[in-house]
Amino acid sequence: MERRASELEPLICKARKYVVLMAGYDPGIHLGSSLSVMEIVAALYGTGRVKFNVANGVHNRNYFVLSKGHAIHAVYALAAAMGYLTLDELRETGSLGSRLQNHPEVDTPFVDVANSGSLGQGISLAVGLALGLKIRGEKGRVYLVVGDGELDEGQSWESFAVAAHYGLTNLVTIVDLNGVQLDGHSEEVLRKGDLAGRFRSLGYEVFEVDGHDVGQIVSALERAENAGRPAVVIAKTVRGRGVAEIEDTAKQRLSRDDALRYAGNIC
Amino acid sequence: MLDIESLTPREALGRALADLGDLRQDVVVLAADTGETTRAKFFAERHPGRFFNVGIAEQSLVGIAAGLAIAGFMPYALTFAAFMTRAWEQARNSVDRLALPVRLVGTHAGFADAYDGPSHQALEDIALFRVLPNFTVIAPADSCEVYKAVTASAALKGPVYIRVGRDFHIPTTCGLYDRFEVGRAYTVADGGDVAIFTTGAVLPFAVEAAQLLRDRGVSAAVVHFPTVKPLDYSAVEKYAASAGAVLTVEEHMVYGGFGSAVAEYLSQTRPTKMAIMGLKSYGRTAKSPQELYQYFGLTPENIAARAEELVKLR
Repeated sequence: MERRASELEPLICKARKYVVLMAGYDPGIHLGSSLSVMEIVAALYGTGRVKFNVANGVHNRNYFVLSKGHAIHAVYALAAAMGYLTLDELRETGSLGSRLQNHPEVDTPFVDVANSGSLGQGISLAVGLALGLKIRGEKGRVYLVVGDGELDEGQSWESFAVAAHYGLTNLVTIVDLNGVQLDGHSEEVLRKGDLAGRFRSLGYEVFEVDGHDVGQIVSALERAENAGRPAVVIAKTVRGRGVAEIEDTAKQRLSRDDALRYAGNIC
Repeated sequence: MLDIESLTPREALGRALADLGDLRQDVVVLAADTGETTRAKFFAERHPGRFFNVGIAEQSLVGIAAGLAIAGFMPYALTFAAFMTRAWEQARNSVDRLALPVRLVGTHAGFADAYDGPSHQALEDIALFRVLPNFTVIAPADSCEVYKAVTASAALKGPVYIRVGRDFHIPTTCGLYDRFEVGRAYTVADGGDVAIFTTGAVLPFAVEAAQLLRDRGVSAAVVHFPTVKPLDYSAVEKYAASAGAVLTVEEHMVYGGFGSAVAEYLSQTRPTKMAIMGLKSYGRTAKSPQELYQYFGLTPENIAARAEELVKLR
């Protein structure tokens, strides 16, 4: 189903609640990263750009690659908010028998590239996928969501250069610029410099938006899709958005009690 | 009939890919600023729309190949073997975990790039790709085998690593068989006192060693294993049983390579007197691979001497 941006807010709120709930069930999830990317994921799935119920092997469709695979719980939560997963299944996330693994796996639902997680690698996979769709003349686009931390990887820029060189207009990249990585704030860990300038110098069209304003993201996606050259949406976000205790920190966890209490207060 | 024998190993590679591209529209070829030197250009000239140069970037090379495989293509990614191993973790996480039909072809393997020295001489690649559960690992001996193995690899469902040289080869397999069977060993000479197992370009040295041994009254079998993984266990078993002593020879470290694969099997099924010949240190710049084979002792004389020692230990 296609929704307008304004109709997405209730879904986003519900999904945010579910991510926090999952953090209560499983301390292994990356709560802060999943919260920062939520509006981005909602802008893609909520508007019908990519779908939760697509069968593999279908041609002329859009593809979704979550290169920052550790934030997969944002996808699970949104799927539940939109009725594609049950709360019982969310409760089992991170369990041996669950298909909701803590990084995208072979049996993980909803993602087209099941083996992202090792940072930077999803970018090359998405570029290869977009290149393949292009030479086969397919209409579908590849939506690639990357973290800012993984832009430290040399491999990321190796493949961004290839996408620009081969003019992959069917690749739309969204950077979740939350400014925090494993060891702390990116400014302290490793400065990213002029990120927009780095992309522009390769030939990208760059759109900078507030990554928690889903309307801004959707309108940037529309422009990116029609840019006529490879495009990137840089979405400024806050890690841990919505959970004051971990906002803008490297913290990924809450105690079980805190998580359940927070979840109860959202929506 | 193609005159593959007169081609160098890398020319046979480029030729095989170009011909494969005629047969299969899903074959795409990628190079990392190595289109010329790996002879991927033979494919590029005939199929320009299906050739992609990703620049000097091996991690991206392997990752983009994996993405193309997800899109339904059969990618062959070519670069120097020494630098393909730079993308080992991409081979693990982006290729092997999904068992994608990606073919990584490492050229200039072993001492083939004598001129450029140890930085360019891959002596660890068999070990590194062999450890990945879904990879098939193939090390052809000469140009004929490169051509046939690359052609045969297209039929495989999972990932493949193919180890190719540069220009040096001594044609040995051209009349040995018609069709390359992945996972099969080929007997080059029969003998009952000792079995010499080889993979890759050192096969002719073993053949010459067997002749030297015959002159000394020792009967040596020479069995060639172009496929290191899956290993032809029945051939290993058969010759270990009949000869009672096995010498492996490879242009690779003695750690974790072909000899290790044979030892892993025999030590658990039929403990057999064994010696593993290969390298224990990095290479060196030289004027030719032959000079390096001499310098590091991978010669028919040394193979014969090690085989004789083994026969005495039986």
